[in-house]
Amino acid sequence: MKPEAIRVDEDGGRALAAWEIVSVLISCLIAEWVVLAFVGNSKLVGSIPVALALALMSFSHLERGESFRDLGFRFDNFLAAARLLILPTVIAGALILLLTWLMRGQQFHFADFRLRLLTVPLWALFQQYALQGFINRRAQLAVGRGLKSVLLVALVFSIVHLPNPLLAGLTLIGGVIWAAVYQRSPNLFALALSHAAVSLLLALSLPADLVYNLRVGLKYFG
Amino acid sequence: MKLAQALIAKSIAETVLVASLAVVLYLNAFPPSLHGWGEVQPHGISGWAVNHSDPWQRLEVQLFIDGKFVSNATANQSRPDVMAAGWARDEWHGYNFKDLSLDPGIHLARIYALHSSRREAHQTLQILGDPIWFTVDEAGVLHSWSEITLRKIR
Repeated sequence: MKPEAIRVDEDGGRALAAWEIVSVLISCLIAEWVVLAFVGNSKLVGSIPVALALALMSFSHLERGESFRDLGFRFDNFLAAARLLILPTVIAGALILLLTWLMRGQQFHFADFRLRLLTVPLWALFQQYALQGFINRRAQLAVGRGLKSVLLVALVFSIVHLPNPLLAGLTLIGGVIWAAVYQRSPNLFALALSHAAVSLLLALSLPADLVYNLRVGLKYFG
Repeated sequence: MKLAQALIAKSIAETVLVASLAVVLYLNAFPPSLHGWGEVQPHGISGWAVNHSDPWQRLEVQLFIDGKFVSNATANQSRPDVMAAGWARDEWHGYNFKDLSLDPGIHLARIYALHSSRREAHQTLQILGDPIWFTVDEAGVLHSWSEITLRKIR
């Protein structure tokens, strides 16, 4: 299936798209680092930068005339995207299991399943929407479709997972794969399934001290 | 153009948010309502400490000499002069650090008020008054020195 091209504007449009990426990235960093440092785990204050980012993203979609279908909330290309994702997801899962097996003295051990983990697929869908449905599309506007925009998306994804070294590294690799797949076959549901599967495997199998309960930002330090 | 305006508005909103958080955090950690003073006495350092936002609170104060913690105390001793001067609503805001056992020579004392914020998750020290220069003679008696005098000596 031929991917739908994203219209690339003149230089001003490229700069604007880059600014949009930086703006959303800054909102994430404010939520992860500044709010936590200043007011602790206040969900109310923490929701302000997230709400600002979502408002900007929604407004940008409207201004650019992007529909839900354009963003990847669709089913017609689900199988095409799933076919692209199945192999890297299986390989990632196998590597995580192998790493777990080696780190736990050649034994498998899975943490207890917590109800909280049921929200992982929804959280994965939200992250993939922000990452691909917004950042990836703006990256394509800013630097064009292909390797540069794929790397830019992966870098942004990795930065928001700092300072957790394992997550920053894994999201850099995952970001490259997911961004490349999105550019070929933009389907957020397939991406969210892949993302959720890898996240659940990480959360359930790897020792908590290694992934540090998947904490990022200032929360990583305790 | 509208998108650029939205980006500018968002940037301003975030700047205001971060600045507000910084100011609120600072005011919580270092409230401007803490006041006090310290002075050298022949056998110690005494002074007073009040919290104007909680006038009946007896502040905990800590004495640091030459940058090192020496002692702590609760400012709950009688200082009628402080109340008479309008600094406090009652007279029980004084403190007195005695028997400091210091070597002869020049020393610098600082008095800090201990303040808890965020349900005691944070504790901060806020200096009360000015740093106090003083000397200790061979007999162990303390003498006040003005900073100007010290500069002349040096």
